[in-house]
Amino acid sequence: MADEPKLGEQQATRVSEPLEAPALRVPALPPASPYPIETRVPKVRQQTPAVGQRATRPDGRLHGLGQTKYIADLTLPGMLHAKIKRAGIASARIKRIDTSAAEAMPGVMAVLTGREIPVNSFGPSFQDQPVLADDRVYHAGDGVAAVAAVTEQIAVEALDKIVVDYEPLPAVLDPLEALREDAFKVHAPNSNVYATKVIKRGDVEQALAGAYRVFEGRFTTQMVEHVPLEPHASIAEWDANGRVTIHTSLGRITLGRADVARTLQLPINRIRIVATVVGGNFGGKNEITQEPVLALLSKKTGRPVKGVYTRTEEFIASTTRHPFVMDYKTGVSRDGRLLARKVRLVLDGGAYCSWSETTLGKACILSGGPYNIEHLQLEAYAVYTNKTMTGAMRGFGAPQVCFAYESHMDDIAHALGIDPLDIRLLNGFEEGSASPTGQVLQSVVLKRSLEKAAERFGWKENDS
Amino acid sequence: MKKRGRGIACMWYPIGFTVAANPSAAVVKVNEDGTATLLTGTVETGQGSLTVLGQIAAEELGIATEDVHVVSADTDTTPMDTGAIASRTTYVTGNAVRLAAANAKDVLFGIAAGMLGVNADQLEARDRKIQVKGYPARHLPIGTVAHQAQVVRGEPPLGSASWNPPTVPMDPETGQGKPFNTYVYATQIAEVDVDDETGEVEVLRVVAAHDCGTPINPMLVEGQVQGGVSMGLGFALQEEILFDGAGRQLNPNLTNYIMPTSLDMPEVEVDIVDSYDPTGPFGAKGVGEPTLVPTAAAILNAIHDAVGVRITSLPATSEKVLAAIKAKRAAAKALTKPA
Repeated sequence: MADEPKLGEQQATRVSEPLEAPALRVPALPPASPYPIETRVPKVRQQTPAVGQRATRPDGRLHGLGQTKYIADLTLPGMLHAKIKRAGIASARIKRIDTSAAEAMPGVMAVLTGREIPVNSFGPSFQDQPVLADDRVYHAGDGVAAVAAVTEQIAVEALDKIVVDYEPLPAVLDPLEALREDAFKVHAPNSNVYATKVIKRGDVEQALAGAYRVFEGRFTTQMVEHVPLEPHASIAEWDANGRVTIHTSLGRITLGRADVARTLQLPINRIRIVATVVGGNFGGKNEITQEPVLALLSKKTGRPVKGVYTRTEEFIASTTRHPFVMDYKTGVSRDGRLLARKVRLVLDGGAYCSWSETTLGKACILSGGPYNIEHLQLEAYAVYTNKTMTGAMRGFGAPQVCFAYESHMDDIAHALGIDPLDIRLLNGFEEGSASPTGQVLQSVVLKRSLEKAAERFGWKENDS
Repeated sequence: MKKRGRGIACMWYPIGFTVAANPSAAVVKVNEDGTATLLTGTVETGQGSLTVLGQIAAEELGIATEDVHVVSADTDTTPMDTGAIASRTTYVTGNAVRLAAANAKDVLFGIAAGMLGVNADQLEARDRKIQVKGYPARHLPIGTVAHQAQVVRGEPPLGSASWNPPTVPMDPETGQGKPFNTYVYATQIAEVDVDDETGEVEVLRVVAAHDCGTPINPMLVEGQVQGGVSMGLGFALQEEILFDGAGRQLNPNLTNYIMPTSLDMPEVEVDIVDSYDPTGPFGAKGVGEPTLVPTAAAILNAIHDAVGVRITSLPATSEKVLAAIKAKRAAAKALTKPA
């Protein structure tokens, strides 16, 4: 004890003997890239008042240096890799799933099927989507089984060893066909029309009958993907206290936590969702996908489990933008005023509701366009088909209806010989205008935006 | 031969959820040196929302963007948030952040009032100082007040708040109601060249005039618009998931699913329209989704202006445009042909 220095007593500095160059072979490491010792803060971030400043983003520096940690960059000790087997058939009954050969593979630590998920359904409006299909397949991208293995490659190979017997069923792929009474019911006995929205103002039929001219058009749009640079990715860790931590690329963690709690039948306070910087969302990461699967694989193995979608899975197994079929009928006065408009929207909802109800509602409300029209009848229907599910995507149906109402507007302007800018200024919303739902609109700057864009473009100068 | 055309499209778009509650909560902690930490449950998905929320907290506290550190997206530590959806972050989460910061500021003002010998309602926070309104010569650095509050008086300046946009449910028969608390407006004008031999469309220029209320960070607004235009361009001309007859996707990869690259991007000129919404934080509304809404419509109207064909189904691929040009020529020929 006497050798031990007392607290505060100065210790003699030990001088090491100079060592010879070590003969050890060290693993090759990438050359160190030191940061500048001083991290300079851009002046704009130091200025007050803060609002209105073109302040740079603190994450921008990390992105630029390649230091941002996405899920794909994270590794936890003992972590396993999960892969999900996709159905590859659009509509079928699952007769049998044989996972024995996959389970026997060296390196495969666990296999999971839909029947093992406590509550195998989720969805923001209706819980019509299975986490993993157990009894029925509703679209070709449905997951039917999942594997956790020590490497990603073994997990991929194990998927091929899983045998699924399907009884093929009829499928409906066209939204207009799905509307028909005698169409195959995607989620029998429920109707294929799973959400409807109607907005009515005034007397459309009478106003159309009295109009100077009536224009009609059908416009259709396609299914597109969000294509974020970072695919859906998560790591789940079920700890010894029965608490689950999920690192995930979700854009909505509060909702995600509720969905995970519901599917796993756990109290909410036993779930922790940590979102990283998300590499692009655009609406595609608003709901859970593989999180409950990874959590249960972690529970089965006692190890953290990571899942990263392939680019193909991004297309076939995540939500997409709704294809629309849009029928427009508009009555106008001789001087180009919109008097009455009738719209019918049919949304191809794919196999599950997801955010279709929201998309339907917004699209319907917006479908009249930003114009004062006294007589309106706007109807929208979302229908199931056996295709990739459609859901939230930047604009919630607005880009589709804008394509329709603005193409239609130019057709009207052209036929009446009115400049496309002028017809919009003539009909556009103003402060205090009533929306199609009867709402008095405030902070309306539509005409200012038209004038500003036209001025910048040189619309009047370049009049042809 | 290349034909030039121009097309205009305008739009309106709501901020927040349709009728349904979509609240946000926030917590602001002022540190004893006058810097602050903001806790929010929303997620940075690449749009710069955390920077904007930090600027809102900083503005309310009278400090700079750099003075606020933003902690986000952990359900164990950050308060409830509906999340990065529906162009709602600046407006809804921003209002919650502003209110939370105001609550923290109230603690500081209570302390500063005694130190400066005035009532708390005579104070304002500006330029990292707490000062008397109309007599800024009497002031204290915010760090001095924060230190006094936490270390001397034992009242750490903390604030929490939540906000949810007020709506009125829509009538199920007529759809009448107030589904949203506010909307934004925008116009885009596209200039294109259409090759009438190949049907190829090149977008040369997009002028975009967007309303977002007060732009909290104009640079990030411009970034959103540029990104939105690229997404709208893909929607207009290129992107399409194709299915076989059995309902399986034919092109689920980036080799065969064509989307815009930097080489496809036109010149994008962004104008922010003067606007102020009294219901938003410092007059702000939002800008995320609307940026791509009018792009496809403007491009399709420009194609019509250039070659006189109306493409009614997206995307307007070269094949589709060329087929429409040929059909138009054939129809014109049939008309001129002597009977």
